Amino acid sequence: MLNLKSLAVAIPAAFLATAALADGETIAVFTKNQTNPYFQAVRVGADNAAKSLNAKVNHYIPTKPDSIPEQLSQIEDVIVKKPSAIVFIPVDYKAMVPGVEQINEAKIPVVNVTDRSAGGKFLAFVGADDYNLGLETGRYMLKKLGGKGNIVIIEGVKGSLTSIDRVRGFNDAIKEFKDVKLLASQPANYQRLQALQVMENLMQSHPQIDGVMAANDAMAIGAIEALDGANRKAQVIGINGTKEAVDAIKAGKLLASGDYNGFVQGCIGTMVAIRSLRGQPIVTEVVLKPTVVDNTNYQPYDAAVETRTCPTWDQAAAMATKTN
Amino acid sequence: MSDHALSAARPRLRLPSVPGVAIVLVALAVVFALISPNFLSTGNLSNILVQSVILLLLALPMTLIIMTEGLDLSMGAVLTLASLVLALTVVSTQSLVLGLASAVGVGLAFGFVNGWLVSALRIPPFVATLGTLGVAQGLALIVSDGQSVVGIPRFVRLVYSGETAGIPNPILIGAAFYALFHVLLYHTKFGVYIRALGGNRDALTLAGVKWQRMLIAVYMLGGAMAGFAALLMTARMNAGHPTAAIGMEFDAIAAVALGGTSFERGNGWIFGTLLGVLTVGILRNGLNLMAVPSSAQVACIGALVIFALFLDGMRSRKP
Amino acid sequence: MSTASDIAAPGARFHLSKDVVQIVYRLLAAGLLCLLLSVLTDSFLSMNNILNVLRQASLLFFLASGLTLVILTGGLDLSIGANIGLSACLAATAIKATGSPALGTLVGLGVGTLVGICNGLMVAKLRIPSFIATYGMLWVLHGVTYYYMAGETIHGFPPGFRQIGSGYFLGIPIPVYLMLGFLAAGTFFAQRTVWGQQIYAIGANPVAARLCGIPVDRRLILVYAFSGAMAGVASLVFLARLNSAEGDVGEAMTLPAIAAVLIGGASLFGGVGTVFGTFVGALILTLVLNGMNLLAVNASWQPLVTGVIVVLAVWLDMIGRRRT
Repeated sequence: MLNLKSLAVAIPAAFLATAALADGETIAVFTKNQTNPYFQAVRVGADNAAKSLNAKVNHYIPTKPDSIPEQLSQIEDVIVKKPSAIVFIPVDYKAMVPGVEQINEAKIPVVNVTDRSAGGKFLAFVGADDYNLGLETGRYMLKKLGGKGNIVIIEGVKGSLTSIDRVRGFNDAIKEFKDVKLLASQPANYQRLQALQVMENLMQSHPQIDGVMAANDAMAIGAIEALDGANRKAQVIGINGTKEAVDAIKAGKLLASGDYNGFVQGCIGTMVAIRSLRGQPIVTEVVLKPTVVDNTNYQPYDAAVETRTCPTWDQAAAMATKTN
Repeated sequence: MSDHALSAARPRLRLPSVPGVAIVLVALAVVFALISPNFLSTGNLSNILVQSVILLLLALPMTLIIMTEGLDLSMGAVLTLASLVLALTVVSTQSLVLGLASAVGVGLAFGFVNGWLVSALRIPPFVATLGTLGVAQGLALIVSDGQSVVGIPRFVRLVYSGETAGIPNPILIGAAFYALFHVLLYHTKFGVYIRALGGNRDALTLAGVKWQRMLIAVYMLGGAMAGFAALLMTARMNAGHPTAAIGMEFDAIAAVALGGTSFERGNGWIFGTLLGVLTVGILRNGLNLMAVPSSAQVACIGALVIFALFLDGMRSRKP
Repeated sequence: MSTASDIAAPGARFHLSKDVVQIVYRLLAAGLLCLLLSVLTDSFLSMNNILNVLRQASLLFFLASGLTLVILTGGLDLSIGANIGLSACLAATAIKATGSPALGTLVGLGVGTLVGICNGLMVAKLRIPSFIATYGMLWVLHGVTYYYMAGETIHGFPPGFRQIGSGYFLGIPIPVYLMLGFLAAGTFFAQRTVWGQQIYAIGANPVAARLCGIPVDRRLILVYAFSGAMAGVASLVFLARLNSAEGDVGEAMTLPAIAAVLIGGASLFGGVGTVFGTFVGALILTLVLNGMNLLAVNASWQPLVTGVIVVLAVWLDMIGRRRT
């Protein structure tokens, strides 16, 4: 796809600066589904970073949410197109390994974002620490409850890496407090309605619930609706730091949300891919520090994701947990 | 009244007696070839074929089942369950043969139950297989506890990613099964019975044929094919996953319908099913090559299904 | 017209008596389930939990009641879940943009009905099998919804509007009143009006119905429009209940709604079934899921149990009908 015109621009540019060695690269960004706002934040972050670096982004999303065969097919199709680089969130961290290996065989550089793939070679991993996010957010709530009370956990999709680790974090936070009792831990598949119904049913079996730990914001807000509907009160936490969660925090309904920061993950993942193509130094692992968003620090999150701007490379590099 | 108006207008369209799916297939191929330079590369064409094989393996028996005025909604879930069982068996025994046998066994068992519910208890196929869909899906979740099964030996993967005589294995497997079904349907007595099962059951009874057994056999064939498809699916993912093929039965049904098999009276066309599967494959591939947004792809698939059937509907109502 | 109703009426009365017996069986089954659950768990037989079950059943019933009429004509509507998604998102936009719940309600019902009319036109005029026409429609609706929502959610509706989902009147949730209202209206329409009887006649024998002068095409369009409108109703209750709109909100509802209709005794071949039977079917399905939640049964068992119940219910129904 390298035509003469871009060569004509690229060659003199190479003499001028190392930056923008060959801009106009195409980055293929893979996300899991079209419905979860988290992945939209990743996509917007990727768009944002690519735009500022003068590269082009194509998004590939399974038409059926989280479909493994479909993401595998999309990888095969994209390899035919030969994008300059790939930013990749596997729909399943184990079952998508053959797809990553195909990308490796085609010698297309690839950055792993959000769910750490169980295999394959990547330029870098950019993600958040689900376990510590669960732990910190859980701790935050238990401290607010004075270190005692009855807790229920609402889990995400069974077997998904994010849910397993977040719930493990919640459980470890609960273990730290002697007077906290875990009443139940049930999955609601990251779905709002399911969380609402699970919560309604749990309220029947448990007359006293002081705290609800939900593995994402949609489920947390579903649980709040259930509590409101039954005229009961409990502290609720979620994870992801979405706009909706911030609104609920402002309204005093949600206690806190652990910030998963898909936007920044999308930014850094794309920046790493483009910098690597241009021969600039990169980092090989960024695991974002867990941040608990509450009513004291929500301001930066209180804006549509489209209006946010990516961190600069220096800021991103400062977050790195591993460099070459 | 309205029928009259339509039939009067129809001759002007002058549709040749080519099925809707063939028109759509050719049209799509031409459009994609013009727009996307990589579309016609051998690499990409083989890509499309390889990607279509798993769906083809489900759509072939689905054609026969629909020809008997039946339906199998459990196929995707049975495929998923069989894939998990295969993965677990292969991991513990390191034997591909045992793995495949267990997967096909699971498929045959579900196929038998489906066939028995439909023929002996006379439960409508939609209901019976909706029930077994739930059972298979539940078992898949219980067996795996929601987790992927990994640690599958390398040789399983070669079934999908390997080549024989320069042709990718899945294409050979797909071609072999297509040939098998063609012979089965058009050159055996079983095929004659299947064609009679839709809409002509009384004649079979009069001829002394135990059509209940034939019906059970058809559903078992569907189950077995889900088992074979499970091998390809497992090899493709190098893992077993509890939701891998959920909903794939609807894709298969759509491909069959796209291929011109009618839901009534046993009019089926196995080559049409092949065209239907390829049309869906080409559409998805081409849209990906053009980097069309996923939401538009979703709408295109729906529109295609409706459009192809619309073309067929116009044709079949010709006087 | 008059001939049609004359012919349809005696046949229908014959069905009704059989149907009454079948419904009594189903009510007994539901009663038995309640008895079993109240023995097994203390929390079942509380007023709260019973209201809970009724409210959860209402969402299922809205969808299933519209679907019942479609199934009575021998058709099927697979697009209802996707229809909820689009109707909910557009209604949410209307409410957000104008602040008027009335307008939002109008939009939700309007979009749902319009989609239904399209389905009806495809089935009646283009003669596309309903299974395929509505499956294609499902994809089209998802595509439009995903494009429109771009991965975001719309949340936060005025309290007045939220009453229809989460409000109470005399201690009973509003959706339960809505359910009873639609139950009465649906039953009256199907059993006591000429149009209702014509729908039974179409399902029992479409050719004869046409020969009798029943305007089959118009009735078919009416039935699909009604199914779409009920999806619109469900979308509004969803919106009010969850206080937010997502593209995939109704996705998981289609198969349970079909299951409820089948458990309720309707035949997929058309001509047999009642709205009241569907109501009991929705109730049984909800009771089972509620019971499994109260008994803390692993959620993985839910699809399995649902599947077995569907087959069992239909089989028992067939035996019952053969005897009478």
